[in-house]
Amino acid sequence: MRAMIIDDSRAMRSILRRIVSGLDFETSEAEHGQDALDQMNAGVVPDICLVDWNMPVMDGYTFITRVRDNPDWRDVTLMMVTTESEQRNIVRALAAGAHEYVIKPFTPDAIVDKLALLGLLQPDAVLGGGVPA
Amino acid sequence: MNVLTFFDTDAGAAEAPSVDDVQAVTEDVWLSLLGEQEVLVPRLVPPGTPFDALGVWSAVASISGGWQGVVTIELADSVARPVTAHMLDIPAGTDATDSDVADAVGELVNMIGGNIKSLMPGPSALSLPSVAAGRAVFASDLVEACRVDISWRGEPVRVCIHVPH
Repeated sequence: MRAMIIDDSRAMRSILRRIVSGLDFETSEAEHGQDALDQMNAGVVPDICLVDWNMPVMDGYTFITRVRDNPDWRDVTLMMVTTESEQRNIVRALAAGAHEYVIKPFTPDAIVDKLALLGLLQPDAVLGGGVPA
Repeated sequence: MNVLTFFDTDAGAAEAPSVDDVQAVTEDVWLSLLGEQEVLVPRLVPPGTPFDALGVWSAVASISGGWQGVVTIELADSVARPVTAHMLDIPAGTDATDSDVADAVGELVNMIGGNIKSLMPGPSALSLPSVAAGRAVFASDLVEACRVDISWRGEPVRVCIHVPH
């Protein structure tokens, strides 16, 4: 499985990378939505994107709408990982095509649970080393 | 130095989150990033006392819309660097760069600000964070509405909420 982590914070990308790498995902990273789209157009199409909302250049909501507008990417799973917790925006994101929504701060277990719900984990998957406490 | 000047509408009353709420949000963010074993200890600091660390980092994020306010975190360099090292998984013995610290401190205020926003009337938008090596400075049209002083491993951390007059 391949995961793309889309967040303007290197620190948050590092935290998420350690979590999903510990679950044996291959990872790539993007600094904002446009960066992610550019990588996907260049052929780096992940199985799942973990997407922040509040980013420069292109925010996570716009990224989701752009991905869903492209039928070639209909199999890409989209999970918002963001501090944006207003109900109306959660509904907007899910209506636009996000599959799951995680609000920061989160625990590694919260990410694992969501990936399991999405069917992206093997039944015996456990977190590996290096995951932040 | 972080200088804040904004607020161009009369929307949003000068309501503010409670000290307990801000402290709870800060602890949630802190412990989620650094581990449940970490302890944040409240500090008794008289009103009007400047943040008292020698080396200071500050980060601000503004909330605009149904509620308006500015969320600020100030923390000692001796706090910012180990927190950054943990967040970025920097190996022991390797120093975090200033760019690393700015990134990590910005994410701290982003997470605290986002959760403060969720407590207040909406809809509102959270700005991208602004980070500085140095204390935050506020425009005269802002007033401090809530302040939480805590210490982590004996070093000071301050979270403030400012609102328009």
